[in-house]
Amino acid sequence: MWRFIASRVGSALLVLLVLTLVVFTLTRVIPSDPAVVYAGPKAPPEELARIRERLGFDRPLPVQYLSYLGGLLTGDWGNSLSTRRPVLTEFAVRLPPTLELLFAAIVFALIFGVILGVLASRKPGGPLDGVVRFLSIGGISMPAFWLGLLLQIFFVGRLGILPATGEFSKEVDYVSPITRVTGFPLFDSFVTGNWVAWSDGLAHLILPMLTLAAYPLGLIARMTRASMLEVQSQDYIFTAKAYGLRERMIRWRLALKNAIPPTLTVTGLSAAYALTGTFFVEVVFNWPGLGQFAADAMLSVDYPSILAITLLGAAGYLLANLIVDIAQARVDPRVRIGSRKGISA
Amino acid sequence: MEVHQQLSQRRRFRLATGLLAAAAAGALMLSGCTVSKQGTGTGDAAKPAVLSVAASAAVTTWDPVRSFSTEALYMGNIYETLLKKNPEGAAEEFTPVLAESWDHSEDGKTWTFHLRTDATFHNGTPVNADAVKQSIEAAKAYGGASFIWAPLESIDTPDEHTVVMNLSYSAPADIIAAATYGAWIVEPSALKASKDDENYFTTGTDGLPIDAGSGPYTLDAYTPGSKVVLTAAKDYWNKDGASHYTTVDVAITPDAVTAQQMLTAGDVDLATSLPAENVQDVAKQVGGEVRKANSPFNYLAYFNTTKAPLNDVKVRQALSYAIPYQDLIEAGAYSYATQSRGPVPKGIYPYSEDVPQYSYDLDKAKQLLKESGHADGLKLTLTYASENPSEARFVPLIKDAFAKIGVDLTVRAELFNQQWEEAKSNPKKAQDIFVVYYWPTYSDAGVDNLTSLFGYTEKPFFNLSYWKNDEYNKLLAEAAPLTGSDRPAAQAKYVEAMKLLVDQAPGAFLYDPEAIMVVPKNLEVGEFNENYPFTTFFASISPKA
Repeated sequence: MWRFIASRVGSALLVLLVLTLVVFTLTRVIPSDPAVVYAGPKAPPEELARIRERLGFDRPLPVQYLSYLGGLLTGDWGNSLSTRRPVLTEFAVRLPPTLELLFAAIVFALIFGVILGVLASRKPGGPLDGVVRFLSIGGISMPAFWLGLLLQIFFVGRLGILPATGEFSKEVDYVSPITRVTGFPLFDSFVTGNWVAWSDGLAHLILPMLTLAAYPLGLIARMTRASMLEVQSQDYIFTAKAYGLRERMIRWRLALKNAIPPTLTVTGLSAAYALTGTFFVEVVFNWPGLGQFAADAMLSVDYPSILAITLLGAAGYLLANLIVDIAQARVDPRVRIGSRKGISA
Repeated sequence: MEVHQQLSQRRRFRLATGLLAAAAAGALMLSGCTVSKQGTGTGDAAKPAVLSVAASAAVTTWDPVRSFSTEALYMGNIYETLLKKNPEGAAEEFTPVLAESWDHSEDGKTWTFHLRTDATFHNGTPVNADAVKQSIEAAKAYGGASFIWAPLESIDTPDEHTVVMNLSYSAPADIIAAATYGAWIVEPSALKASKDDENYFTTGTDGLPIDAGSGPYTLDAYTPGSKVVLTAAKDYWNKDGASHYTTVDVAITPDAVTAQQMLTAGDVDLATSLPAENVQDVAKQVGGEVRKANSPFNYLAYFNTTKAPLNDVKVRQALSYAIPYQDLIEAGAYSYATQSRGPVPKGIYPYSEDVPQYSYDLDKAKQLLKESGHADGLKLTLTYASENPSEARFVPLIKDAFAKIGVDLTVRAELFNQQWEEAKSNPKKAQDIFVVYYWPTYSDAGVDNLTSLFGYTEKPFFNLSYWKNDEYNKLLAEAAPLTGSDRPAAQAKYVEAMKLLVDQAPGAFLYDPEAIMVVPKNLEVGEFNENYPFTTFFASISPKA
């Protein structure tokens, strides 16, 4: 297992290295002067020259790339050209809310996607299957920003039971401020027993979580349904039935365990996809995460930020894949054994 | 045995899921309680009176000298200038702030500002002549908008409360001293500490950026990209200009539709930028009114005058006649705009109603094209900034209208930075038409818009029509110094220059968008000031009795 993980991590690092080169080259060959991004288009030429010299933009590109790589390894990811603060400092503030939202959405999608998928597989073509199909295809095909607005109109505008935007009510700051422990606000309010903030945060989390979960939930439900149907026609299921095991036990324990690996793969991939998907959701719900920062970085060609965000997205993908592989190896011994024999990568 | 184990595991699983469900239900109930407290706006007597605002302004820096971006929203409430320029139509051109009175020599080269004696910075040190001198010298030396102080040669401080600015040529030091950027007066010890440390203000102490201002608010909390909390300054020197709220809580909300949701859901009391197409609905929903005002922004399209066919004035005039201005205003600004009169926005000096406009007249356009020998049509390319949604909406209308006179327009959306770099690199190979959204750095569109946009420089900077007209440049050179000594005479010269500009049409002057705001029924909000387009002065807002 460790060798398996090591080889995966090795290839992941190589992918990231190539990625830095590609993104660095792309962001620097398009005609946009980083000094202008830094100082604004009205800055006079002398000022621009000063900035170029100070920030090293006057050096040849390969030299700039190598010094950027050196910085990456030593924890200096450069300064954002538009906010002028270290990119890692920006991330430290903005990443935790994004990750909390992402985590909640994926856990929600996994639990309910699997339940819906299994229920739908009970009677293919039945009314419940129809409802689940409608929900999952709807979830997959509806754009997140639109779904977010619909949920806001319904839950906030019509019913008035949930807050529209933000991560916490502004009152929380005055009534019961959150003590920082890990920097993950919802988690911190939980571990410090700050129930006012925690419950307020949960209420704020519901709508963006549902919006973000819609796509993976649909995908997971469809995938679970399909693989459940496949598994249910296997011999050992018939055997279990013949032994007189109860229907529910067969479905939820025997069949599901064997049907879950493809679902895990899909979950992993959609989790990584959702990392960038959160950006849309964050804008709609004014969630203080990475989304707006990412959008601004791209529009202003703020290359240190673009690089960092791309690296983060790619690392997210690779990590999700790795976790899925490990989880599959735990669930399905064939993956483990295969890797030992060198069959699977 | 195995079946038994499985069953007991299942019970455990059930128990766990049951607990989870109960916890979730509890959380929902609890959260229901919290949510119902929302949207109280000004709060009750026991809590601080909070004005909550959704604003799109992000913060690039907390350094008042280096600041040159949207953080002016907050800076303008924390820092003060010597004077404030009043909106068009006010009885007086300026409101005195840190300066009580001021005068200038006849030649407009020596400006004397008399400071008030009771103003203090937030840390209690007095605002004196030395602080003013150091602030302005810092702004000239390394400010984000350092170029606004180009005429300044030296500053004398004959006494504690007198500042004398000596200019190398005549210039309107009063307008410059009232600028949005580069004119804030900063506490000298902070200036000293930040001189060589660009991040001094932003890094701050204990996670809170440094505040070295004298204005009605102090900075209380800041979370990048998320929120800014301002608190009414204790012992603020100007009782009349003090805040009506203890706290102003700003949720940084870059997306206007999201800001709209926040306002209509009662999450905030005020939103500084709303989608123009929805303001009427929003006003209805919150029971407020839509308020319109001048803004310093305008849209124009440069014609590339260095190459055929746009080096021919008749072709440029023909294209100017072929633009459906009113349709552009409807599509781009949802009718909240007026057709431009040259590149000086309505309400900004030296705007004048005497400057002519082109009308939408296809017959005239065709006639002019025929006269220039292009009766059989033309092929042109146009670039615009892809991140500007108004341009994306109105540019297709230009393309359609041009097609009616036989001009085949290829439209290219590019990021502004990219579009600008390409346009500056080689005029001969650059685009034919360049759409730009522009505003003056401070309220003198003579030295800014007229000069930056159409004044000739060897290497193109912002004149992306690459137009060179000696008469125009001469008029500008005469008008600029007169602004310091004889403003009406300067205005007359500028108007002459603008008439020439419109006639020669090195660009098409599209429209001046208006500033629009929804004023909710429970708030009194001061007038929008086109001279400070990035700042909402929170002290001008109060609860309606």
